[in-house]
Formats: sequence, structure tokens, C-alpha cells
Amino acid sequence: MKAAWRKYLGARAPRYTSYPSALHFDQSVTARDFTEKLHEIQLYDPLSLYVHVPFCRQLCWYCGCNMRVENDYARARDYVDALIGEIALQARALGGKGRPTSIHFGGGTPNYLSCDDLADILGAIEREVGLTDCADVAIELDPRMLRDGHVGRLASLGFNRFSLGVQDLDPLVQEAINRIQSFDLIESCVSDIRAGGVDDLSFDILYGLPRQSEDSFSQTLDKVIALSPDRVSVFGYAHLPDALPHQRMIDPQTLPDETLRAALSAMADELLTGAGYLRIGFDHYAKPDNALARAALAGRLKRNFQGFTDDAAATQIGFGASAISFVDGLYAQNEKSVAAYKDRVRRGAAPVARGLVRTRREAVIAAAIHDLLCRLEADVGAVLKTSPPADAIRLCSALERFEADGIIRWDGDRIAIVEGAHPLARAVATALDPYAQRQVEYAAAV
Amino acid sequence: MSASASSPVACQAPQRPASCDLCAVRERSICADLGPRELVEVEKTMARRSVAKGRALMQEGEPNDSLYVLVQGGFRLLKHLEDGRRQITGFIFPGDFVGVRPTGASAYTAEALEDSFVCCFPHRFLEAIAERCPGVKDRLIARGQTEYHKAQDHIVLLGKKTAEERVETFLRMVAKSIGHGGDSAVTETPLPMPRQDIADYLGLRLETLSRTLASLKKQGTIRALSRRSVVLAASCE
Repeated sequence: MKAAWRKYLGARAPRYTSYPSALHFDQSVTARDFTEKLHEIQLYDPLSLYVHVPFCRQLCWYCGCNMRVENDYARARDYVDALIGEIALQARALGGKGRPTSIHFGGGTPNYLSCDDLADILGAIEREVGLTDCADVAIELDPRMLRDGHVGRLASLGFNRFSLGVQDLDPLVQEAINRIQSFDLIESCVSDIRAGGVDDLSFDILYGLPRQSEDSFSQTLDKVIALSPDRVSVFGYAHLPDALPHQRMIDPQTLPDETLRAALSAMADELLTGAGYLRIGFDHYAKPDNALARAALAGRLKRNFQGFTDDAAATQIGFGASAISFVDGLYAQNEKSVAAYKDRVRRGAAPVARGLVRTRREAVIAAAIHDLLCRLEADVGAVLKTSPPADAIRLCSALERFEADGIIRWDGDRIAIVEGAHPLARAVATALDPYAQRQVEYAAAV
Repeated sequence: MSASASSPVACQAPQRPASCDLCAVRERSICADLGPRELVEVEKTMARRSVAKGRALMQEGEPNDSLYVLVQGGFRLLKHLEDGRRQITGFIFPGDFVGVRPTGASAYTAEALEDSFVCCFPHRFLEAIAERCPGVKDRLIARGQTEYHKAQDHIVLLGKKTAEERVETFLRMVAKSIGHGGDSAVTETPLPMPRQDIADYLGLRLETLSRTLASLKKQGTIRALSRRSVVLAASCE
């Protein structure tokens, strides 16, 4: 990486899985606003569904998700009942309209739930909203909680995309993050998944974890490549102990510095692309025949709350505690606490706690940031047209700096990120984002 | 001329065209409501087209400027999603219509489930006929089902909460459209569409559809079932 680019690596930038980000949601959006938006969905509008399972067996110290360690399965079963109640509730508002094209089970640990309970949730979606064989049904898995026959059962229920939380394969790193899972365990999960006929397997990898070195991380990557997943997501660990108290369990002395983080990120890019993976956006990699790669090559790549996706649906409906929905410019987030969520559903109300109605200007900025992250180019002219003068000047001078450092080039009113500068896509996006000027502590950009 | 259209002489003169005499769906669909003179007008500009199994009559996104009446066979209506996946939005049976309005971009594709015949009425001729014989177009489409009716059927179906209700409603709908005779207890209803199409249309997965069909058979709602046909017990409605 060019020396002039390094200064942007330390910059704090949001992940931009939505714009404006969830940090800006407030109580101005109510359950009623959300329900009214659901009424406007047309008969064959594609829907992207998300189901949040906030339970884990054990706490991983790097985690930034909404989750809790649950030792009493009866409480999880109560939660499943609430989920089924919420699905029925939102389906009534849909009134038979909208067609799910994808369902994603995330967490937490979705496979904390038994196969029977997962089947009940899928059955509720099929019954209440409708589900067809051409929908993608994805699930995030904790390899440590998979038992014999588990994967085959999930595949027979209709799950056809599996994502394994691998993170790092070095035992010393695993110890430092409290997530010990041997290579043999991962290898046997992969062979179970392949035996189940699943042809879309994804790994999550984290760099910037405690005790990671270039040496250890290259070994992790070699092993990952040997297991040949169809996709790999390479995320940077964000150490925010003030916001996430359990991260205090990680000794900051053992964290890689910015230079090492950049080297680890570059190494992942080099080894994965060298092994034949295509880079998708700035942090996903996929085999060229994978659906995500085909979407990217066809210019259909999108970014939603789950990251980069090939799902074409413009409408997202999230079920479960803290899940976020997006319908026609309206973001709605459910109650974050499991107790409050269950309580709202039990009373027969949509459990929406907060949200945001996107302004026309925010929609233009969102589209530009989306293009910048998904296609590494953006229409700045459209953003300038909607910006007040002070913001426009700030935007132009920020982009001038990126241009002077050779990170972007102009083409009329459009900018494009130059080859090799993709890790800085989020940093460039902050130039388009008026909120980013404010002093908010975000995840590290790289 | 339009002035002569209402004269008594003009009304008795024309003969019903021979090709329409042979039409299997005439009495149950469009032309039953047409007077002999209207029928002659319509037949002058109408064309009979055959559509081979699997071929498209109309393509989503392509212009269409004709009204089609299905005479024989069956069609599935479908929409393609951006990434190539598809949604079955309806089925068209003999007597039903597609292309009720001319459009620059069709909202769906109509694909033949089997070798089929349609009568094709170009809208520009229908407009001209409408000037001479007012109301003919309305009467053309007054019977049979249009795509709008089909969409309403679909909403009703998807609003049914159990898989069994959805499947039974669908089978009765097909029986009403193409079943032979009134007593469905003893007559076979053809099912020209593959199971996968039925599952997609009903918002069910193939496995759930198969399980539901088996359960309806066990309960006696379905008397007999084969890949291409079904015999239903008399409805209790």
C-alpha cells in the first residue's frame, strides 16, 4: 500500500450496512408507521427476511453482536414462540403480498436453537408469508455446537447456504478471544456440510485479533483456502471496550497495531485472490461460480444489514430482538432486549422500538455510498445537487484530498476508487456522509 | 360504416364464420355474447395462433399489442426476478384472457404448459370494431378470467393460512376452470402444470405441497391423484 494512503487506515468509518446508520435511529418511528409501510407492499415484491437468534452457549470476547449467554433452553423456546407470533403479526399486515426471495438466520448463534425449533420458524414463514423452493435460506453456524446429523437435518429443512464462524485457526489467538475450536472440528463440519449437498459455504475470518501475527495469520489463511469454502468474509476486529464491556477481557497490549492490521488485511486479499477467489466489495471473497461473484460481475451486488449480498430485494423485514427492517425509505428496529421484545409481541403489537424515515437527501447519499462500496464508484453530482453549500464545500475538499493522494479519480460528476485502494472505500464514503463529521466513535475503517 | 351497423338489414345478413363454429370455448367465453355481425367483424381481424409447449406467448418487459383468448391448452404466467429466479403469478385456462390492455412492457411472461391454441385480437382492430359495434370489447372480456382476476385469486389463496386450505382452494379453482361437467366427485380434472409450478404459485415448498396432497388424499378430499390429474370429492360448500 502507498505511504500516502496509510493515514486513512486509522480513520474511523461506519460499516455502512445502512445509511443513515442505526446510531441515528430514534423513537420518532412507531409500530404503526412500520405497519402502514407494510400495507403498501405489492403482491409480487421480493422480500428479504432476517431472523435474529440472540443466544449463545458461551461468550466470545471479540463479539459486537446483540446476544446473551443463555443456559436455560426453555427461555429460548419462549423466544421461538414470540418469533412465530411476530411473523404472524407482520404477515397479517402484508395480507398475502410480497414474496420472500431470501431468508437469513443470524445471531448470536442460530444453531443454539434445536432443528425442531428452526423448522417451526421456517414453517411459520412458509404458512404466514409463503416460501418457495427458489428462495435462498441461509444460517450462521457455530461449529462447536454442531452435532452428528445436525447439518443433514438443516439441509433437509431447506437451509442451502451455511456460514461458519471460523475467525482464526491459531490456538493462541482462539484462547485470547475465548473461542476454542480445533482445525479438525472445522474440517469435519465442512465435510458434513459438503456431504449434505450444500454448495454455498461461507467462512467468517477476523483480522486485528489479539496475538495475531503475519506468520500465524498466513497459516490460518492457508488452512482456510485448503478447506475451500465458496465465500470468505474478512472483517476487521473493532476494539470498543467502553461500548462492549466484555471486550475488556482482551488485553489491548496484545492487539496488532495499525501497520500490522493493514498488513494482515492486505495478506488476506493477496492469498485469497491468489487462490482464485474474486474480491467482492471490500471485505468479501467468492469463488467465480458462486452466486455472490456472479451478482458482482453482473453489476447486481447489493449491501444490506448482513453485508454484501446477491439478494435483489429492496424490502427487508427483520424478525426478532434488535432486528432491523427497511421498507420504502423507513428503517424500523425491534426492541433490543429479549424480555421487552417478547412482551411487546405477547401484547399483539409490532415490537418496533425505534427507527428513521430517510429524507430525500439521505436517500441520494445512501445510493452514492452504496455504489461506492458495491461498485467502487459513485455519482457525486447527485449528492452535490441536494447538499447545502457548507456541506458541498466540505464534500469537495474531502474528495480533493483523496484525489491528491491518488485514491480516487474523477470522471465527469462521478468518482471511481483506483485499483488497489478498495480497502479505503469506507474512508472515501465518509466524505459523502455529513454525519461522519460528527464525533461518533465508529468501528475502525480497516 | 357505423351508421349501417344499427340498421336491421345489416343485423340479419352475416353468417357465423365457419372457423368460430368449430371453436370449443365459444359458448363458455367471449364470443357467446357477440351478435352475428360483431362476430364477423371480429373474425376478419382475428388470427388463430398455435403456441408449442414451453414457448412464450408474451414476454415480460416486451411490448404487447394484442388481446389473446386461450382456446385450447394452458399457460403459466410468471415474473422473473433480477437474478433469474421466477415467481409463478397465475395460470390461464381455455376461455381466459391475457393482454387486456396494450402495453410497451408486459408485466409478466405467459408460457405454454402444453401445445396450445389462442385467438389473437390486435388492439388497434378492436378499437376500430368498437367504433362500429360499441361495447364489443367489454363483452369480449366480460366472461372468462383476466390477469387481474387471476391476481385477485392469488391474493385470496396466499391469504389462506394453512397449506391444506391453499392446496384445496387451488384444486377447486382448476376444477371449476377446466374440469369436465359439474360433478367433480366423479370427473377427473387435468393438472397440466408441473408440481413445482403449483408449489411456487401457492407460496409453498415442493416438499410441503407433496405432503399436503398426501394428507388431503388421506382425508378423502382428494379421491384420486396422478401426476397429470386429480379427482376431487364433492365440495361441502
